[in-house]
Amino acid sequence: MEDLLSVNKLDFFYGQNHALKDVTLPIKKNKITSLIGPSGCGKTTLLRCFNRMHDLYPNNRYQGEIMMEGENILGDRVDVIKLRNSMGMVFQKPTPFPMSVFDNVAYGLRLKSIRNMSVLKEKVEKALRQAAVWEEVKDRLNQNAQGLSGGQQQRLVIARTLAVEPQVILFDESTSALDPISSKKIEELMVELKEDVTIIAVTHNMQQAARISDYTALMYIGSLVEYDDTATIFTNPKHKMTEEYVTGRFG
Amino acid sequence: MNNLKRRKAANFIAMTLASLCAAVGLALLFIILYDVLVEGLGSLKPRLFTQDPAPPNIAGAGGLRSAFLGQGLLTLAASIIGVPLGILGGTFLAEYGRHLRICRFISTLSDMAVSIPSIVIGTFAYAILVKPMGGFNGWAGAVALAIIILPIIVRTTEEMMSMVPWALREAAFALGAPYHKVITGIVWRASMSGIFTGVLLAIARVAGETAPLLFTSFNSNFFQLNMSRAVPSLTVSIYQYAASPYESWVGLAWAAAFVVTILVLILNIIGRIIVKMRKRD
Ligand SMILES: Nc1ncnc2c1ncn2[C@@H]1O[C@H](COP(=O)(O)OP(=O)(O)OP(=O)(O)O)[C@@H](O)[C@H]1O
Ligand SMILES: [Mg+2]
Repeated sequence: MEDLLSVNKLDFFYGQNHALKDVTLPIKKNKITSLIGPSGCGKTTLLRCFNRMHDLYPNNRYQGEIMMEGENILGDRVDVIKLRNSMGMVFQKPTPFPMSVFDNVAYGLRLKSIRNMSVLKEKVEKALRQAAVWEEVKDRLNQNAQGLSGGQQQRLVIARTLAVEPQVILFDESTSALDPISSKKIEELMVELKEDVTIIAVTHNMQQAARISDYTALMYIGSLVEYDDTATIFTNPKHKMTEEYVTGRFG
Repeated sequence: MNNLKRRKAANFIAMTLASLCAAVGLALLFIILYDVLVEGLGSLKPRLFTQDPAPPNIAGAGGLRSAFLGQGLLTLAASIIGVPLGILGGTFLAEYGRHLRICRFISTLSDMAVSIPSIVIGTFAYAILVKPMGGFNGWAGAVALAIIILPIIVRTTEEMMSMVPWALREAAFALGAPYHKVITGIVWRASMSGIFTGVLLAIARVAGETAPLLFTSFNSNFFQLNMSRAVPSLTVSIYQYAASPYESWVGLAWAAAFVVTILVLILNIIGRIIVKMRKRD
């Protein structure tokens, strides 16, 4: 199985706070990799290394590398804007922009200077269909996106991310703020999206990790405890801590 | 129990005092409004808007048309100078400079600048723009008014933009947006009505100012809108007419005061309504 990304001896610092310690793990192409672990173990921190979100804040420092197609994406010469174009991110709470549904999905496309209205329309529709929200919003494309329900907003955000055709989508507890039905829809969506993209998903929901992911990584206080295919992690883990965590006896 | 009683008593006294103060303030406000309303409406005539100032001895003639236009021109010029500067300044404080200590200092300074007496700003403009230029001029007045609105707009812009959740900016960054596009396309859009309200209230604050104009653009009795000379001013005219011994001038002053009050009130009310609407959604 081909590795799209490989994290090599990655350390990360929030100023003095050493938040990731010597993390090494592969991310398989067109698969879902779950990051699990107790609160504060560094899942979000690791996820935000992939799209260099940490660059937005002063005093953050990476050490080590994340290789993608022969290049270290943590390198100084990397075009962060291009990188983020290929690494979509969906947050815990839906983040619709204060504009219409259409403009939300078109936002990333317009950033890439796509202005032609018929191209935009086509791509927006395609993304909304892919995100399984087209039927619900097709009659309100010109309405403010902040008027949609939480679940619809989250799928809209996924559509917005898909519209720019990223290689990877990073999900940070993206279903935890939603009702069970919406969250099930998004789970199913993630599985469908595997065809086109590679997914890395942070979750606190063990059943969800077991259901949807192909690979699972358990983290603890900034370190990687165990990485394996999901079946092994949940049924036959090597570490005692992993077993205790996935069965809910600790964490 | 004793303690509770004491606290209750203290609470009662504080509340009574506060209510009393509020009542006195409100009563004064209403007396002023009532006076302006009665006297102003009584003297309000169409010629206030259609005629230019005339000597007091010509019965039934004279208005303040040029003063209205002059005041509008000064306010407009002040807005053209002050609004963009204020919005850009506030944007810098809220975004690029949010981690810089100097920016926190500038924010505090702006807060203080909001309460500088406007006559002090008038004398400042006099020193830098009237004396060197050799006489009263409209630009000096516009700059004085711009200096008054600048800190108000800087601070409201900064506050409104800081209220936009970081998650929204991060979502835009995550799509590969450069910072300036995140600001113009997302943050400004999300805080637009708040910033607009701030601008409106700031303009309302200076539209009725007299003191900063007294030493700067002063006043002119002629229809003259050349900004490099003294420009007719409504508020300064009110000030001069009201203090004059001529009944017709005093009447015009009341009428003009009424119109200014209504205009400023309307601006304020629009601003408050927008704030209310924002709060609801
Ligand atoms: N901006 C920051 N500055 C300093 N320390 C931070 C910052 N963000 C997170 N941390 C610290 O880094 C560690 C990892 O945090 P992180 O948010 O990655 O955890 P997490 O695994 O995502 O937790 P949760 O499951 O609660 O979301 C924590 O100890 C946290 O306190
Ligand atoms: Mg997290």
